[in-house]
Amino acid sequence: MSMTSRERVLAALNGQPVDRTPICCPTSVATVELMDLVDAPFPDANRQAEPMARLAATAHTLLGFDTVMPVFSIIQESSALGCKMQWEGKDNWPTVRMSEPIWEHPDDIYVPNDLIDHPDTKCVLDAIKLLREDLGPDVAIIGKTMGPWSLAYHCFGVEKFLLLSLDDPAATAEVLQKLKKVTIDFGRAQIAAGVDALTLPDHATGDLVSGEYYHRYLKDLHIEFAQAIPCPLILHICGRTVDRMGFIAETGMAAFHYDSKNKPGESMDVVEGRIALVGNINNPETLFAKGPDDVKREVFANLDAGVQMIGPECAIPLQTSIANLRAIPEAVQEWHAVH
Amino acid sequence: MAELSDIQNQTLRDEIEEYLERPEEIERFIELFTRAKPRLLEIAAGIIEGDDDGVDALTTQALAEGIDAIEIMDDGLIGGMGIVGIKFRENFVFVPEVLSCARAMRAGMAHIEPILSAAGVEKQGTVIMGTVKGDLHDIGKNLCIMMLRGSGFDVIDLGVDVAEDTFIDAVEESGAKVLGMSALLTTTMPNMGRTIEAFIDADLRDEVLIMVGGAPVTQEFSDDMGADGYGADALSCVAVAKDLMTAA
Repeated sequence: MSMTSRERVLAALNGQPVDRTPICCPTSVATVELMDLVDAPFPDANRQAEPMARLAATAHTLLGFDTVMPVFSIIQESSALGCKMQWEGKDNWPTVRMSEPIWEHPDDIYVPNDLIDHPDTKCVLDAIKLLREDLGPDVAIIGKTMGPWSLAYHCFGVEKFLLLSLDDPAATAEVLQKLKKVTIDFGRAQIAAGVDALTLPDHATGDLVSGEYYHRYLKDLHIEFAQAIPCPLILHICGRTVDRMGFIAETGMAAFHYDSKNKPGESMDVVEGRIALVGNINNPETLFAKGPDDVKREVFANLDAGVQMIGPECAIPLQTSIANLRAIPEAVQEWHAVH
Repeated sequence: MAELSDIQNQTLRDEIEEYLERPEEIERFIELFTRAKPRLLEIAAGIIEGDDDGVDALTTQALAEGIDAIEIMDDGLIGGMGIVGIKFRENFVFVPEVLSCARAMRAGMAHIEPILSAAGVEKQGTVIMGTVKGDLHDIGKNLCIMMLRGSGFDVIDLGVDVAEDTFIDAVEESGAKVLGMSALLTTTMPNMGRTIEAFIDADLRDEVLIMVGGAPVTQEFSDDMGADGYGADALSCVAVAKDLMTAA
């Protein structure tokens, strides 16, 4: 039985059997090389639907991944909320100027009802529709809606928000409660536009906060998202996260996109099949700096551990080579040929 | 040899007993805190507890009692942050807690720095620090800068999103012998390598020793990029800077 890419991805997200392990990009596989090949450079590809869709499609058409992801960055909603932006050029990621936060207090938070009509969110919805038209029903389209913890970094500044989390837990909870509307509204709008699943980045990373923090501030909210956003959700948190994977596995989300700082075997042991894992090919040391054989070794390690979907650990460096990215689907095919 | 029980401060005894595991570090802090004046033990404990108001008042009090500013900084403020740094390295505390302790240290340093500056205390050297192009994260860099300044370095802070040319200009203008680059994102880490290459292209690589750090950065990545030193956290940043300054 041969499955389409979309069937394969949805089956893996729903814990059902697959004909082979799907290759996914829950964050971004956009590169400068791909931008040149389809004439869809940053920053246009982050702000206009047509180049956004054209660049996103390359994940399937040129790299051989089972998914496409039109939201390359993590800043579309923050721009719509009024954050000061730095859109950059072709070879740099757009960023929010977090040193110039727009809010200082939970009372300052204002989420407009027409957030999804802002040009920087609407272009995502339009790109999703274009991708569905162009790629048809057989490719999985994954969208992205940012979690409230990440949005709070952008709107309050990382340092100020982290200090608030220690100084005033009640105010912190209020911030998260107010910002969850952004996550839900933008997620639902992308479902209406045609996505099959959504990545939900919420950067309560082990490099910044403890697993206990995840449990205290985010676990219940993530359970709420899994119930309120009607499609499979892929939670993305960078860094070392083994200490919170047990909590994450209890959220009801379909998958967790995990970082190479966590070993595949130990991660699978922690989640015990309660949530699928996606990942975790190292970006800076392997995909960016090494060769296809090194990439393949990491793919094999994930497959040997039983990781359900294979892909880079996070958004890849823009200078990553196409050859290294193509090594991921090649390795999956090679592994399945002998297993 | 001093014993843990010789330290005249319960908080510090508890911290050492509960969180320090490496024998050489236990020995160093027992030696420091048995030697330090009681007021400075209170300051160190205040730093660990993130009590900025307390550290502010205690530092004022210590100066009024005639304790030397450098002694307050070394034994109290940096002593306390040393314990915090170890707890961070060992994952006993995370960034919010460290930020809180850093806020307390800043409250103390606000009294100390003007005195040291007026006294013209000789510095260990100048270090240029910046977060690489495309990356606007500065918490780690700022913690490193605070510890470097506390350890006697002059620091030129280039801020975030620093282009290769800006790093080069800063080295040429200041003559600094050590440069530190930070990145929080795996997507921006390659800009460390590009900056090092830019120094090579400008024929300035031999003029400066370069250290790198940041949450996703590793020793292997540092070596691959051709950096001269790697610091996993603010404490090791100071140690690496001292080593590089000696080698420069």
